[in-house]
Amino acid sequence: MVKVKYIFVAALIVAVGGIAVSYLFPSEEKKIKKQFALLSESVSKDSDESPFGMVQKLRRVGSLFSEKCEVKTYLESLSGSYSPDEISAYASHGRALFSSLRLRFSDLKIEFSEMETAKVTLTARLTGRLTNGENVDESHEMESVLSKAGKKWLFTSFVMVEVLKK
Amino acid sequence: MVFHQRFRQFLFPSITPGFLIRVLCVGVFAYFFFAYVCTPLRIKGSSMEPTYHDGGFNFCWRPGYLFSKPKRHDVVAVRFAGRRVMLLKRVVALEGEQVEFIEGRLFVNGKEVAESYVRYPCHWNLPPRLVEKGSVYVVGDNRDMPIEHHYFGQTSAKRIEGTPLW
Repeated sequence: MVKVKYIFVAALIVAVGGIAVSYLFPSEEKKIKKQFALLSESVSKDSDESPFGMVQKLRRVGSLFSEKCEVKTYLESLSGSYSPDEISAYASHGRALFSSLRLRFSDLKIEFSEMETAKVTLTARLTGRLTNGENVDESHEMESVLSKAGKKWLFTSFVMVEVLKK
Repeated sequence: MVFHQRFRQFLFPSITPGFLIRVLCVGVFAYFFFAYVCTPLRIKGSSMEPTYHDGGFNFCWRPGYLFSKPKRHDVVAVRFAGRRVMLLKRVVALEGEQVEFIEGRLFVNGKEVAESYVRYPCHWNLPPRLVEKGSVYVVGDNRDMPIEHHYFGQTSAKRIEGTPLW
């Protein structure tokens, strides 16, 4: 009976140690997922968002992108190369069209293709309500590339994948 | 009395090693079954009305196309980057076929195809296009909207994850 108790305590210590290590020293994959979580959080908007909260979020959006980020979507007007400031401005403009907005990323598949570069395939889902009351619910497959700058992973490209071709 | 005892034992079983193993087996089986064989679906949007309603619930039967290919008029689940978000659409044309819409009527290889599942008025016009090798052409049942607002088209057959259970 004593042996079982020791085994239980040892297993508990190993589990707690494992959780602590993964929390204190996150893997590169976890760091990348965190960047997507931050982007999702920064773009999303609640109907009762305060102006201060909005400024904080927009400032954070720009900090997630590299000096130049390539964007390719089915909308020609949105495709191009953008600086972090331009992306913040676009995000601000886009958010203003919505009374509430939620951007979620799922099914992230991360591949480390080169040193300090990661390619991520994911599904982006945008739901919300426009200021004119119309509901929006769109999903798209995206391919994103992130590059490592110091300890941070920054977005360098976002390309929309055509799942259905009319 | 015996029945009463058995019934009580069924509702409040003794936590024995055998019972825990049975619970573990059921849990593992349920996880694999619902994650990889018969995945739960929550239907959002009106693209497949009136066949499938917004807010409905279903299961995606993944072995559906294990030994066969999708056929015309089959309803299929088309994945994006993964299986968290999928599109529910109907196959209207197969690889090598030419598909077009004239005043809302579907034509495949120049012949009109009857579609009993389309209940709402439709006035779509789409010039003929050839379905590429390894692809299928999918459309929603609800065509009571301008063609620009309906997400449909050609997709790789590899993206088909399965078929709804009912």
